[in-house]
Amino acid sequence: MTDQEREAVGIPEDAMRRLAEMRPGSPGALFTSDLSVNEFLLVREAGFRPLGLVLGSSIYHVGLQIGRWSQNMELDKLSQAMYHARELAMTRMEAEADALGADGIVGVRLEIEFKEFGNDLAEFVAVGTAVKADEAGSWRNDEGKPFTSDLSGQDFWTLVQAGYAPLGMVMGSCVYHIAHQRGFAALSNVGRNVEIPQFTEALYDARELAMSRMQAEAEQLHAEGIVGVQLLSLAHRWGGHTTEFFAIGTAVRPLRADHTIATPQLVLPLTD
Amino acid sequence: MTPWDGTGLPPAAQARVDRARSSGVRSSLLSVPGHVGIESCGFEPVGEVMGCIVEYIGFQGYGGCGWYGAYGAPGAWGGGYAAPPTVTSGSGSGWAGFAPYVNALYHGWDTALHRMLTEARALGADGVVGVSLTEQHLGTGNREFVALGTAVRSTGATHVSRPFTTTLAGQDVAKLVHSGWMPAAIIVGISVAIRHDDYRTFAAQRAWAANVEVDGYTELVTAVRADARRQLERRTAHSGAEGAILDSPVRLSVHELEAGESHRDHVAESSVLASAIVRFHRAETLPPTPTMVLSLRGGGATIRRRTAR
Repeated sequence: MTDQEREAVGIPEDAMRRLAEMRPGSPGALFTSDLSVNEFLLVREAGFRPLGLVLGSSIYHVGLQIGRWSQNMELDKLSQAMYHARELAMTRMEAEADALGADGIVGVRLEIEFKEFGNDLAEFVAVGTAVKADEAGSWRNDEGKPFTSDLSGQDFWTLVQAGYAPLGMVMGSCVYHIAHQRGFAALSNVGRNVEIPQFTEALYDARELAMSRMQAEAEQLHAEGIVGVQLLSLAHRWGGHTTEFFAIGTAVRPLRADHTIATPQLVLPLTD
Repeated sequence: MTPWDGTGLPPAAQARVDRARSSGVRSSLLSVPGHVGIESCGFEPVGEVMGCIVEYIGFQGYGGCGWYGAYGAPGAWGGGYAAPPTVTSGSGSGWAGFAPYVNALYHGWDTALHRMLTEARALGADGVVGVSLTEQHLGTGNREFVALGTAVRSTGATHVSRPFTTTLAGQDVAKLVHSGWMPAAIIVGISVAIRHDDYRTFAAQRAWAANVEVDGYTELVTAVRADARRQLERRTAHSGAEGAILDSPVRLSVHELEAGESHRDHVAESSVLASAIVRFHRAETLPPTPTMVLSLRGGGATIRRRTAR
């Protein structure tokens, strides 16, 4: 990545200076990491060294779009906002990791916080720990970027043991407006136990859209599959009928043909 | 009776430590697994220790508009419109932005930790584990900083004059020690930044229906976090440690400040707390190979998931 490209994705000068200090191998190099002790030790056991905490942030003004009162519809403007802002934060985090010479980023968390100041302002943050493999290898993905993974250190270790490598986090977002029922339709259901097909259909549509967008991203990375998928319904601040459906997971590729792991031992813990 | 003058330990704390030292009773805040963990790596608990300070924070630094708040920061004067409008507390001299306020916070945490260590030393401890740092606003500008942990002593022959401190629980300390790493010190990194509200924060919000990044605010929060992380690194490096494990996510809060007549600026505060660690084996050691286990514990998934939101 050239300096101009870094400038374009918006890493500030101080962050760069900080990263310059941290390049491993130089005297006084030290790492920072938000992994837990278990995760830290397991990531090292898997053959990776933590290089540093990496973080990307974007404060974004999410535009306004109102759904038609009685219609199921995607609010594409909002979907785009939620996706674009997360993408900005992730790209900045990846750029920091790239500057550190990392092979990948583990334990990534994506957070959204709507701010009290300003209207419709939200901060999107991506934070994780940049790691480098002890032995040189091709850990970066097809696009030459460090891999990203939202798996915990424990899951990361297990994945590598089983002969898979993470390629990148993949996500899909869909902000959907669920129609209000017209008065007559609502009245006819009073006192009855019935399915409301248009509601069911709306939730299906929205989730399927989010999941298929995530899948498309994984296909683009030439992944074998996606692990640790979470399908979240996030209400944010748009009232009861407008919800963001967000699918996120880690796309993986095989490292070898067989994927057998050691037989687990049964343990009875003495803790609650 | 003369009031305590602030040096050494308060009389009540001194009396408790003296009594703990002379009696054979050992108290500890460790959980049972934490206690077993600590013993497995050659330490024994010698007592719980605390450090506390109530501090009055009356002067936060230059309280005016962020445009002029760069007082003391290099290149701030005469920079015209090219001057970067975000001022972080760590960016210049001891007067830049909110540096006096940040220094007051550092003084609070450092004093609480120092008093905790004084108690630990009096008990003959080599370290303090499972330290919790808490902060309480007592109103009218008074703030209390408390450090509370369990002092431990090595069962071996070698002892240290400056005990180590860590926020990690006994179990975590044991895992690290068995893998060749030793906790060194608790490190706090704090930064406060102010940014003048200008066309880069207004313009984005004026177009009320547009999806657009508010790059002025992004710059503010990125700068304050970067500064807090840099403070953490500087302090970790200064302590002589090789790495730092964060205790909790990087904290951030943003608030408005009425800097002048019908003009508001935004102030961001970020802090990060970590345990610095050092490797004590000369050669690179890998942690012991984990065994695959399947826990026979009820109640569904036990693996900690990092949730994405």
